[in-house]
Amino acid sequence: MNLSLLRQSRSRTLVLAMCAIGAIFVVRLFYLQVIQHGYYDNEAMKEHTSKFTLPAQRGEIYAKDGSDNITPLVLNEASYTVYADPRYVTDANKTADTLRRIAGGNVVDNFEGGLQNKNLQYTVLARQISQQQADLLNAAQLPGVGMQEQDRRVYPEGSLAAQVLGYVNGDGQGQYGIEQAMDSDLAGKPGLLKAVTDVRGIPLSVGGNNVQESAQDGKNIVLSVDRNVQNYVEQALKDGLDKVHAKHGSVIVMDPTTGKVMAMANLPTFDPDKYYEQSDYTAFQNAVVSDPYEAGSVIKAFTMAAGLNEGAVKPDTTYNNTGSVQVGDATIRNVLQTVNGTRNMMEVFEYSLNTGAVFVLQQLGGGTIDAQARQKLFGYFTGHYMFGQKTGIEQAGESGGEIIPPDQAEGNDVRYANMTFGQGMSNTMVQIASAFSAMINGGTYYKPTVVDGYANSDGTETTKAPQIGKTGIIRPDIARELNDMMHTARGLSIRGQDKPGYYVAGKTGTAQVIDPKTGAYTDKNAIGSYLGFGGNSNTTPRYVIMVRVTDAQVSDAATAGNASAAPISANISNWLLDYLHVSPK
Amino acid sequence: MSSSTTLTINMQQPLTGRTAQTWRRNQNTVRYQLTSGLGPISHTVLIAVMLCILGLIYLTQITKTSAYGYQINDLKNKQQKLVDQKRDLEVESARLQALERVKNSDVAKAMTTPTETDYAQN
Repeated sequence: MNLSLLRQSRSRTLVLAMCAIGAIFVVRLFYLQVIQHGYYDNEAMKEHTSKFTLPAQRGEIYAKDGSDNITPLVLNEASYTVYADPRYVTDANKTADTLRRIAGGNVVDNFEGGLQNKNLQYTVLARQISQQQADLLNAAQLPGVGMQEQDRRVYPEGSLAAQVLGYVNGDGQGQYGIEQAMDSDLAGKPGLLKAVTDVRGIPLSVGGNNVQESAQDGKNIVLSVDRNVQNYVEQALKDGLDKVHAKHGSVIVMDPTTGKVMAMANLPTFDPDKYYEQSDYTAFQNAVVSDPYEAGSVIKAFTMAAGLNEGAVKPDTTYNNTGSVQVGDATIRNVLQTVNGTRNMMEVFEYSLNTGAVFVLQQLGGGTIDAQARQKLFGYFTGHYMFGQKTGIEQAGESGGEIIPPDQAEGNDVRYANMTFGQGMSNTMVQIASAFSAMINGGTYYKPTVVDGYANSDGTETTKAPQIGKTGIIRPDIARELNDMMHTARGLSIRGQDKPGYYVAGKTGTAQVIDPKTGAYTDKNAIGSYLGFGGNSNTTPRYVIMVRVTDAQVSDAATAGNASAAPISANISNWLLDYLHVSPK
Repeated sequence: MSSSTTLTINMQQPLTGRTAQTWRRNQNTVRYQLTSGLGPISHTVLIAVMLCILGLIYLTQITKTSAYGYQINDLKNKQQKLVDQKRDLEVESARLQALERVKNSDVAKAMTTPTETDYAQN
């Protein structure tokens, strides 16, 4: 055997084997480092980088304070949740004592139990502690105790305009009121920070792949609600309800020349700072926009406006009031049976004559209630006054109310005769106040709003222009006639309540309530309403007021509007004339 | 490191310029030329040292950048704390100016309702 050959062969084999192994390594490394570069680079980045959400600050809410200033109703404040990992707590008793001393009433129930339980890794000790308390706790250097910061809403004016505002729940979502209706505007948009971090998770400014998208804070909204008007209205409503031993009532005050709401109040109300303590959830709802009802005789103003605008009646048109009128199989009666005889259209307001309102409907049909009369009234209610549809006001839970069309079986003559004086249909107060504003201002329907504009960082305001929904609701001359009729009627029917020298007008309303046991209207209880305006002439209305008292305890339920709602309206009206600096006529 | 000295004997090298003027004809001239160079080991060591220096410079810069990161983080925390303090003060200010507080102030309680109001005519 040739040994040298053999030796040479082994060496060569070894070399070849090593080359092969080397080639495998090279190929594998090429595969990992070149072909799979992107994948492993990505995996490495995942290990090194962390994502942080940069929270957006929720928008603040302001109210008007007089004509030029704004004042905060809802602000944000930093608060802290105190937690512990009991495994690292060295002295539970000392920790508990320190917490009680610093956090006081903010500690959670039985937090001591959580501190003692070494099986837990996380237990909450206190919630919503202030910055000062947090600083004191930091200084105490309690082992195993940490804090997490979050914003919370604070209400410097307490429960003022609570239902208009709503509240923000524990998940940071707006609930009820404007907080829910404009949640996306108020919430803003959180930002994102994607960065290389150290072992403690602190972002480092190394690496070219850091991503930072700044958070966009929510918009700061300025309400059209004036805090002084709101405050007075809430107090007037409370005093008015106390006088008639009622518990439920609502008021809206609106600027008829812009559709901007100056005040909106409901009782009972709630404290938005302690919303979680509220057991009656209906108190969260803004009944002015979410609770449609049969408004009663205040609707006569709208029926009369339709009749006047159509030329079916004039202010001096008379009819023979017999105290009742037969429509189909139903007899419609007046509350006042002592004013029978020939009456004109102004007296229909003065004595609140149901028969007079039915007379207007008959005239719309050429003397009888027919399909044409029903269609015309329906056209005015839905096409001119925008009843039966949501107004779009920036409040959660708005209802559109209900108007039965005349082409439905239920939209018969009896229903439409009832609708002329506000029964058999349902409206929200904001619908009625907005339509009434359109009638008295000469025929321009402004979309009702609670938003006056947006607050800028320098404390100024960018005002939102009023939104016109429709023009030509009624003719301006008809508006003046209607205003004069209501002004005269108020002067004759409600005496001594108004401040002398001003032009105050309006209409009371008393709506019967359906007894749930019998399914028929009952005289035992009624909802009292008042709808009016004030200014110094029939062309310069400065405010519209609508009041509703739901459960007045008055001697005669049939006059609930006069007895319960009208005095509240008069109280607010007299104060507003001074507050708005309205000069006498 | 190593060095070497080379002795160069230049026979009958044509001379030009001022040197030519001082040298005589047929004179042998001798010139010493010092050629100093680095060997392969020195080269390697030098390159290693330079790489180390470059590495150190790189590390210093990276550490500096990291330190800036901590500084930025620290400043951001301070900024956030000041923003929180500002908000707290705004809340306190709003609470002090709240309507209920103003109504119950001594100044407000001392106010009286005017008996008569006159309006200026334009």
